[in-house]
Amino acid sequence: MSSNKFLKHEGPWSDANDPLMCSDTGSWRTKRPVVDKEKCIFCGFCALYCPIQVMEMVETSHFLPDLGFCKGCGICAKECPKDAISMKPEGDFQK
Amino acid sequence: MTEKKQGKLTKVLDYLKHEDPFSKGVAFCPGCGLELLLRFIPQVLGNDIVITGTPSCSAPVLLGQNNQSWHTLSYFGTLMTGAAANATGLARYYRKAGIKNTVVCFNGDGTAADIGFGNLSGAAERNEPFIYICYDNEGYMNTGIQKSGTTPYGASTTTTPLGSASKGKNLRRMNLALKMAMHKIPYAATATLSDMGDLAKKLLKAKEAKERGFAFLHVFAPCTTGWGYAPENTIEVCRRAVKTNYFPLWEAVNGKIRMTKTVKKPKPVSTYTKLIKKFAHLNEADLQILQDDIDYEYCMLGGLSALEGECQLPVSSED
Repeated sequence: MSSNKFLKHEGPWSDANDPLMCSDTGSWRTKRPVVDKEKCIFCGFCALYCPIQVMEMVETSHFLPDLGFCKGCGICAKECPKDAISMKPEGDFQK
Repeated sequence: MTEKKQGKLTKVLDYLKHEDPFSKGVAFCPGCGLELLLRFIPQVLGNDIVITGTPSCSAPVLLGQNNQSWHTLSYFGTLMTGAAANATGLARYYRKAGIKNTVVCFNGDGTAADIGFGNLSGAAERNEPFIYICYDNEGYMNTGIQKSGTTPYGASTTTTPLGSASKGKNLRRMNLALKMAMHKIPYAATATLSDMGDLAKKLLKAKEAKERGFAFLHVFAPCTTGWGYAPENTIEVCRRAVKTNYFPLWEAVNGKIRMTKTVKKPKPVSTYTKLIKKFAHLNEADLQILQDDIDYEYCMLGGLSALEGECQLPVSSED
């Protein structure tokens, strides 16, 4: 169900009642954020500043990125006050 | 193992009361300041907003493509010459029809400062009841990084390139937010992405102020592609812009200016420009011109905020 209350159609050609468009932005990533759960103090700055808003709370202990959509910009690693997030080259994770 | 030191969740997250209406994979550059702003606005203001906007970086996502859309908000796409006039029509319709919602006119600096400034000024003067948000990436980034009215002195763009006869923009930037505050509208403010709590407060104040009339928000949103800095530095660029007084944070209620953040010891502008490739060619003398411009604007802003305290305003402030 769409929450679009005021206009039935987005533009002359698009319709919010259809499933939303979603790109595979996870495939753009060249560096992957890796969270050190021990260092994370659960302050939430990574979730706040993440442009894609993909940092998800894991219970109340730490945050983890949704790697399906993370573009790998590295803002979370830069803004983390405890340096708990490090950017590792994506190639290291390919088999 | 030692006990893990548990921090407190930042209070700014409390402002995010509503769901994110955008789908996860949206076609913005990695590290885009605009995407962060665009996802932040409906999470703070609620999903019952109608966004109207123009061709810009925001348009491909807000307008939707191939029968599908990227979000569930209501969006009305219009031309750059008539952005504020369209928002006027929408706001007046919803008021007359008795529908309670918020019309947000969401444009870049090209529309707000250059092409659509005429009707922006007109809508402000008529005090139309909607929120106008200008995201300032200092140029026409979507069409290929041309200079705009808010492009600062010395910045290299595709229309003010580096070469034998040109060393970047040779003119100073305009202060759009101050111009809008001078319209004596109920609310005008500047905000940036490094201080999200401040941005959320100003968004909510703008929503409240639009009951009395026009609300204008000038948000500094850096462009990683156009300016040439590493994507992870988006927030750092905003932070340094505030710390060098390059982009001071203030708000004006009915034209009465108040600084919302004062920097005790402003850093030299070179701490900001060294992060960004579009300023990389500036030498000492050029940086001094930029610094003088920043100092002059900040001094003027400080003077105005002090003066407004002394002068009797014809309209009573409701702050």
